[in-house]
Amino acid sequence: MDFKLSEDQEMLRSLARDFLTKECPKAKVRELETDEKGYDPQMWQKMAELGWLGLVFPENYGGTGGTFLDLVLLMEEIGKNILPSPFFSTTVCALPILEYGNEWQKAKFLPQIANGTAIWALAVIETLGGYKASEIKASARVRDGHYIIEGTKLFVPNANVANHLLVAARTSEDAEGIAMFIVDANSAGVEVEIIPTIAQDKQCQVTFNRVEVPEGNVLGDVGEGWDIVEFILDRAAILKCAEVSGGCQAVVEMTNAYAKDRVQFDKPIGSFQAIQHRLVDMFVNAEGLQYLVYQAAWRISTGFPSRLHTSLVKAKAGEVYQRTCLDAIKIHGATGFTKEHDVGLYFRRVKASEFAMGDSDLWEERVAAELGL
Amino acid sequence: MDFKLGEKEEALRKGIREFAQKELPSECFCLLLEEESRDEDWKLAMSISKKLAQKGWLVMAWPKEYGGQGASYWEQMVYGEECGYWGIPGVAMGVSGVAWVGPSLMQFGNEEQRKKHLPLIASGEADGVWCTAYSEPNAGSDFASIQTRAVRDGDEYVINGQKVWTSCAHRARWCWLAVKTDPGAPKKHRGISIFMVDMKSPGITVNPLLNYYGAHIFNEVFFDNVRVPASNLVGEENKGWYHLMQSLASERHSLGPPLYGNARRLLDELVGYAKETQYDGKPLSQNLGVRHMLADAAVEAEMLKLFNYQVTWELTQGLIPIYGSSRNKAFGDQLLERIGIIGMRIMGTYCQVDPYSKWTKLHGIIQRVYLLSPGISIAAGTDEIEKNVIGQFKLGLPKSY
Repeated sequence: MDFKLSEDQEMLRSLARDFLTKECPKAKVRELETDEKGYDPQMWQKMAELGWLGLVFPENYGGTGGTFLDLVLLMEEIGKNILPSPFFSTTVCALPILEYGNEWQKAKFLPQIANGTAIWALAVIETLGGYKASEIKASARVRDGHYIIEGTKLFVPNANVANHLLVAARTSEDAEGIAMFIVDANSAGVEVEIIPTIAQDKQCQVTFNRVEVPEGNVLGDVGEGWDIVEFILDRAAILKCAEVSGGCQAVVEMTNAYAKDRVQFDKPIGSFQAIQHRLVDMFVNAEGLQYLVYQAAWRISTGFPSRLHTSLVKAKAGEVYQRTCLDAIKIHGATGFTKEHDVGLYFRRVKASEFAMGDSDLWEERVAAELGL
Repeated sequence: MDFKLGEKEEALRKGIREFAQKELPSECFCLLLEEESRDEDWKLAMSISKKLAQKGWLVMAWPKEYGGQGASYWEQMVYGEECGYWGIPGVAMGVSGVAWVGPSLMQFGNEEQRKKHLPLIASGEADGVWCTAYSEPNAGSDFASIQTRAVRDGDEYVINGQKVWTSCAHRARWCWLAVKTDPGAPKKHRGISIFMVDMKSPGITVNPLLNYYGAHIFNEVFFDNVRVPASNLVGEENKGWYHLMQSLASERHSLGPPLYGNARRLLDELVGYAKETQYDGKPLSQNLGVRHMLADAAVEAEMLKLFNYQVTWELTQGLIPIYGSSRNKAFGDQLLERIGIIGMRIMGTYCQVDPYSKWTKLHGIIQRVYLLSPGISIAAGTDEIEKNVIGQFKLGLPKSY
């Protein structure tokens, strides 16, 4: 049992923190929210040079051979700072390529991701908004040796800048007749529309109008598609929770600092018990979330991933983030309600975080199933 | 970062499970503080204390020279978790003996005191059962305001005063007593001392303070010119507060694992109950509300588990948990309360039934948790006090009271 990070992990974390503080201060975050692309290509290149994009790839695919826990630590820092970028969306596509891709696919796509030339986005969700195989209506029919994809996907993050899309489409009417397709985003028939969101995080509607996809671009087996979606959820959920955990820590820290600084009735407001106890609750819940994230990440990193441990975190993370932000705003008083104050940047990201990679209902249901109910 | 326990710990866990399944009546599930109330429960508790002593588990954390095994912090934690899971009575020797009287004597008692008392506690005998007398009518959370007085008279001290909420006073042979030896001290907490008092001493009166359901856990204890040998002073006169800060840390950190064990057991029982119980044509386990409540509680239980691991790990690193024990106690108390509430809801109408009646479900453990949890939460540091500790010592905020 060890609650300490290794020296390398501490270094990764502190380098990430320094980079983000320098390259993506809050003024930059705000700028990127209204920017057409939603990310900074120069910053993206620097991230590639730092080895972030290929962090968990083996070296022969351009990566640095890092562990899943390393990636989680990076996501935690990203969450603390906030980083508008296609990092998460690209990473969640890289992981299944690593796991399910054939040699040709890995050799072709992974190095491009690692060197920053490729941006990816996952397209699974449709109108009903969830991750259920039965909700997938987008179709993929074979014609003349290639697939024709038809349908509409929603909440595809960063599709406006992606050059590749990983798309779940139905190849047969069986419940799980779904395959994952690697689609060139510049293909004829791909239409992207940005959905305005509270987080201004470039979630998109992507319409596929008779889009041609070569057979070699099926990831894994036809009919294995939903297994791949499940795999992505099991990994990406923890990455998202790490981001949330970082966000909670940032909010607690800024609120604690405020409570020490703001004087009313001749005292720092942090000396009033109602405020202090609320802060303590925020802190303890954020700490609990962090440990849950590390435990789940450690299990994945050491080769025995646990559906139960992953589900426990993702079932709860959204609620913790929400409560942390709401309480933080209240402790800040009216100043926390303003556009200028940073706490709003986090609050506006609560729901996007909760619904990414499966919402609380989905993960809570998984907990229930794991409990044996 | 590593979350695995060792083989030794897992073997211990298995051993305790086997012990519980062999030695406890099948419906037995004892919660903190409960065993002192009914005579039949106390009898069972004392018999289990002796068996735990024979197994070498009762005081496993203590050094071998005092009857212990020198068990590691991890083994102690696992033992705590399993005792909580199986609801094993008799673990505490009166809610005091094992967890903090013994350790306190080792920390700041003298050798004579250790030689006399530690073997008694370690053996699981009646003379090793302790009560702890801290609170008074005017001094609960505000402990420094205690007024029970001890005055030196030759080679004795004479004690006068009143203690309240003293759990186990009606069962204990010895009392771990906090008194004022210097009421004139410039700061209140500087005049406090600790004494060991024989409960058979003349001048001691114990009156039950039954709880709202008739459970006899707490007592008032009156000291009327009680004479105590000066050699029963523990540590230095007037330094009691500082000695106690150490004891309290031991006490609170030992509460986390059993609370987690309790929580896990209650959840397992509720899952089983939900699967077996039909409601509206299908098992309760299919009810979305039930699934949601139990899943949510499972997350919080897992947080408590990791909080306990974290404090235990700090101890293994030679660090003193500054706020972790307070966090774990408060979080664990809140979790127990939540599970009590969830359990009552899942049981439906039957939740209002006496826990010992023929109408009760799940051997009444849910009603007992529900009724007991406020008391557990208030004892040994209220939520507010624990949060004050975290606020001041972890968040660095000014004292809020």
